[in-house]
Amino acid sequence: MKHLNEAELIEHYYEESADTAERERHLKACPACAKSYAELRRDLDAVKPLAPPARGEGYGDQVWQSLRASLPVYEKPRRRTLSQFWQPLAWATACAMLVAVAFYAGRQWQRKQTPAVAVAVDPHARQRVVIVVLGDHLDRSERLLVALNHAGANDAWEATPLRSEARELLATNRLVRQSAIETGDLGAEASLDRLERLLVELANEPDGQSEADLNRLRQEMNTDGLLFDIRVLRSRVNSPAIELQGASNSTKGASI
Amino acid sequence: MRCMEESDDSIRRAVVSGDRDAYKVLVARYSQVVFRVAYRITGNESDAEEAVQETFLRSYQKLANFEGRSTMATWIYRIAANCALDIVSRRRPETRIGEENDPEQREVQLADNQAGPDRLLLSREIEARRQAAMSDLTPTEQTAFVLRHMEDRSTEEIAAALNIAPNAAKQAVFRAVQKLRRQLAPLWVNS
Repeated sequence: MKHLNEAELIEHYYEESADTAERERHLKACPACAKSYAELRRDLDAVKPLAPPARGEGYGDQVWQSLRASLPVYEKPRRRTLSQFWQPLAWATACAMLVAVAFYAGRQWQRKQTPAVAVAVDPHARQRVVIVVLGDHLDRSERLLVALNHAGANDAWEATPLRSEARELLATNRLVRQSAIETGDLGAEASLDRLERLLVELANEPDGQSEADLNRLRQEMNTDGLLFDIRVLRSRVNSPAIELQGASNSTKGASI
Repeated sequence: MRCMEESDDSIRRAVVSGDRDAYKVLVARYSQVVFRVAYRITGNESDAEEAVQETFLRSYQKLANFEGRSTMATWIYRIAANCALDIVSRRRPETRIGEENDPEQREVQLADNQAGPDRLLLSREIEARRQAAMSDLTPTEQTAFVLRHMEDRSTEEIAAALNIAPNAAKQAVFRAVQKLRRQLAPLWVNS
């Protein structure tokens, strides 16, 4: 037999349980629950409702008198005329029209502005960017060649930094060489081709190279001659005359 | 001059239409009930008076929004319970400092009362214990218990008055009864 818990007994006391009859039967049949319920009733019956101090017949009047001055009078609701009914609708229509006109004007303005933006593109800007990139590339290539020419093989030869630098330069060199081919600058193209072959060799150089290997690479690739070519190219790029020439002919993208 | 038999709804319409004095009938009609419930919740006369004023002020301000889902009597009753609860919540920190809440003091009172076996003294002791138990309740538990035990309101009515879920109202009554019984328990052991 399942006993009633305190919550169920309280519910029963306040006659709020859904199955009052069943609980009544259980309380008659179960002495433990009957005892608990008797104790609950004793406790709750002992708590008598507080009797409020008496208030006379005129209490309502007293309350009213003390309140009246602080109560604002409600405004009489005004009847809506036909014009008042249409007023919100007119406002809504006006707002919608305003939004539509603003949208249309915005579209027209944008359409007029678009060609102007296209015309405003500076044709020399792209050229200047190419020159800067090319100058940076040649500068880095020159430093790499200087490092390679002065590297000693007796354990001072650290292939890793040169190898990673060569890998980075390789991608740029291909683009620059392609640009030189397109502009018909065959001298530059030849130098950049030689540089590319050296960069490929360096990028794939295994660890543990001897001094003989290093010398062989220098000789085969003629790194001294290549360094000279790169310096010549760099001087051409930095020359203001060349830059002007490049600016005057937009097809000479690399201006080499 | 309005008569007392006029319906609550027609009075409400009159007030909302600008007849402020029509509200006097509602005040007269419900002030006693409002005072009673406020007194039982707050436990003292001056707080109950304050709750009465606040109740009729709030009712007047919200009269235009009264939708008639319940009777006007129930609506005002809920506002009254809420106002009284607010007052109890505001007052509670002060009363907690009072000596009635000091456990040692309670023991002293119990020791004195145990000496007298007479019924009157037992009633006084029960009342003292009830007051002590009530001060241990949260304002919501206290209000829920008063509405349930003294005002004989259903769980749904209590929930509506306190703006809580019916289950929360039931739990509040349950916790209040438990605390009250714990407070009264020593009396039965000693008697």
